Amino acid sequence: MFASVRSTTLLGVVGRAVDVEVHVGVGLPGFTVVGQPDEVCRESRDRVRAAFLSRGFTWPNRRITVNLAPSGERKGGSGLDLAIAIAVLIADEQLPADAASRYAFVAELGLDGSLRGVVGAAPLVGAVRDRCVVVAASNAVAARAAGAKEVVVAADLAHVVACLRGEATWGNADDAVVGDTAPDVPDLADVRGQPVARLALEVAAAGAHHLLLVGPPGAGKSMLARRLPGILPPLTHEQALMCTMVHSAAHVPMPAGARVSHAPFRAPHHSVSLVGLIGGGTAAMRPGEVTLASEGVLFLDELGEFAPSVLDALRQPLEAGEVVVSRARTTLTFPARFLLVAATNPCPCGSGAPGVCVCDDAARAKYVRRFSGPLLDRFDLRVSVGLPKVDDLVDGVDGESSATVGERVRAARAHALQRSGGTNADIKVDELDHAAPITPAARAVLRRELEVGRLSGRGLHRVRRVARTIADLDGAPDLVGEEHVATALRLRTSLASLRSATP
Amino acid sequence: MNADGRVLVQTIGDEHVTAAALASLPLVGPQRLRLLINSLGVTDAWRTVRGETPAPDHIAALLAKDDLGRVWRAAATDELWRRTAEVIATHQIQVLLATDPRYPALLRADHAAPAVLFARGNLSAFTHRRVGVIGTRAASAAGRHFARTLCRELARADVAVVSGLARGIDAAAHHGVCDAQGHGDDDQATDRCPPSPRAAPPIAVVATGVDVVYPREHAALWQHVIEHGVLLSESAPGCGPDAFRFPLRNRILAAISEVLVVVESRARGGSMITVDEALKRNVTVMAVPGSPQSEVSAGTNHLLSQGAAPVCHVDDVMMALGLNHRHHNEHNEYNDSRTPPSAQERLVIAALQHRPLTFDQLVEVLGQPIAEVALQLGRLEAHGWVVANAGWWEALVSP
Repeated sequence: MFASVRSTTLLGVVGRAVDVEVHVGVGLPGFTVVGQPDEVCRESRDRVRAAFLSRGFTWPNRRITVNLAPSGERKGGSGLDLAIAIAVLIADEQLPADAASRYAFVAELGLDGSLRGVVGAAPLVGAVRDRCVVVAASNAVAARAAGAKEVVVAADLAHVVACLRGEATWGNADDAVVGDTAPDVPDLADVRGQPVARLALEVAAAGAHHLLLVGPPGAGKSMLARRLPGILPPLTHEQALMCTMVHSAAHVPMPAGARVSHAPFRAPHHSVSLVGLIGGGTAAMRPGEVTLASEGVLFLDELGEFAPSVLDALRQPLEAGEVVVSRARTTLTFPARFLLVAATNPCPCGSGAPGVCVCDDAARAKYVRRFSGPLLDRFDLRVSVGLPKVDDLVDGVDGESSATVGERVRAARAHALQRSGGTNADIKVDELDHAAPITPAARAVLRRELEVGRLSGRGLHRVRRVARTIADLDGAPDLVGEEHVATALRLRTSLASLRSATP
Repeated sequence: MNADGRVLVQTIGDEHVTAAALASLPLVGPQRLRLLINSLGVTDAWRTVRGETPAPDHIAALLAKDDLGRVWRAAATDELWRRTAEVIATHQIQVLLATDPRYPALLRADHAAPAVLFARGNLSAFTHRRVGVIGTRAASAAGRHFARTLCRELARADVAVVSGLARGIDAAAHHGVCDAQGHGDDDQATDRCPPSPRAAPPIAVVATGVDVVYPREHAALWQHVIEHGVLLSESAPGCGPDAFRFPLRNRILAAISEVLVVVESRARGGSMITVDEALKRNVTVMAVPGSPQSEVSAGTNHLLSQGAAPVCHVDDVMMALGLNHRHHNEHNEYNDSRTPPSAQERLVIAALQHRPLTFDQLVEVLGQPIAEVALQLGRLEAHGWVVANAGWWEALVSP
């Protein structure tokens, strides 16, 4: 008369275990689903009934009540179909009462009774990974990537029932989960010349410093940014799992091996909405671009074209490494530990060079004002990228490859991890003196910058962190020297024109 | 005027207030004002405008045009007179009529002399030799540096600098005078020399009313000029920065300068209007040469090709004034106070001298390691040899 079967539903980027309770009792024949199902979920009753009839099971012509517990949370998606079908079978005593006690079911049913894959299989399965999870064949790899203990697949409802009765054997899901071995990331060797931009890229990767590229159209800003994931160290197991969950939940195309093992690269168009960038939207709370770029690179091309409100929404996740999305029914925390790379033209006409630029002071000032000061302040690295030289393009030799640079980045990251347990960008202000001691000459340089007002207190800390990274890359993991500080200062170009300010 | 030549509180006559009120009328330009005051006298002009006395024929013709008679009759109230008197008293504005002995003599002889002149500060600044220093508002860093250095040396040599207090070259020129008097701001502390006790006062000719600071960021500069020199305008107090006032201002600036130096100018612009006005008055026009590729030097280079004398050094100006520049040099060496650059650093300056470069361009031009260039650039900036402007590095070496 009563049955309870385990399944899961998706909320944000994590699955939540759901007990599908079914009661079959006397009363007018009917089928109701309670427990805040959404539209897709409610429609499952038609799919389940059709699947029963097409596979030759008897549909109990009594009153059937399905409760999705806990009933206080909204449920969505079609992944509960199979669990409902099995629970109805048990409650109708077509299956023994304890047949499904060690299983969890995550699959959609077709009208012919076949099992179909669902969106977000990895986080869904992740919520019930201590059980034997029954999934459709197309979700098998994702389920294993989510770390489930035991994953079995079945072809259709009849197959599942036969296996539960012990009359058939489950299909295997032994396809090995492999990392994405050859990601389609372009190589840094393609960038010829442009030593400063290359250095900035390397420093950004090594210290997890946010990077702003300023340059005329055609300077290769996007080209540089797209090569950044190639020099980032590979993800750790936990990071890879988290990225896999997030990408699966957002239905982003996954690599063949079903596990994201390289730093993701996300480049939303500048028309992106606030919800698209931060997350939220539907009741299922889709993760935004900042979450999809977590542990990887978020590239904002043409920074000035983004809506100011969208850009300013980035400030909190940049600072906290996570983003809290609050809606009327739910408040969710998404991971958002991304490396921000942005590109912009120096002025409306694009050239920026004095004498060539046709913009007047007011137009330039207006263009720069689009970026709020607090946002600009969060870019540790602000470098100008010039047009590549013709010689470099035509006859130049290839630059260092991503592998060579990546090796130095890994070494520098190892230094930082050993020293402060994180990246250099995360060094706390009170730990700076301990983690990044500077020579007297370097101190004098910083003191002067402060005295003439070119550097704020916060800017000082940022320069010291960048200088720390440059020293690490330079093979000087102890003391930060004057040349490191000087380089860090030069990698922090001021956008504002001095023309209208001081004479 | 009291003993030190400074007017502290001016006891202002009714005639002067009336003149100021006349200048405050709507639609009254320098020509109409001159016509009114020169043909009727201040008091009668006021009565005529108010319709209390009948106007002679030529004034009646003026009043009939554009309905001026009605507009002026409506505006020329006792209330306007009282308000004008109040503003003049609050801001200690001096009102000068062409008949006043304190009215600048050079200007009185001018064919387009303003009938009424407003001043704040000390008119004794006109006892000094005067050099107008003008240039574009969108000046290069090198141009601003040159203007500042030139004006500092001129002020030290007891030559008053006349300028317009606009952005760019004008502001740099006045900053130079501030430097000479020991009031320079601190951002260029490195190239500041000990102040001279007898530096010449600054003279500013502005387009707005003398109580309307424009551009607003120059409030401190205005205050400095009022305290140490004199601020002039023919616009009545309260007049805003209307576009037509600036060319008119330029003619006064040209008329009270003995020599006019154009530091940087585009091929057309306000500076060129001032030059035309100066040439009409036989004022010597000098220009600072610049790179032929630089747009902001196009105007000055054109002037040079037309026969203007070049200014590469303060002595060039001193000679044009007929002053003893050697004497000046003996006592006050025109040596750069900046720490001389090393051989390596000279290469950086040389690379930046012809055109501004971004840091990445500089690295590629020099072909040196990034850290090396960053170090040299940092030192050069600390010593005041180079300056960054929105990411572009420029050398501060006189062109």
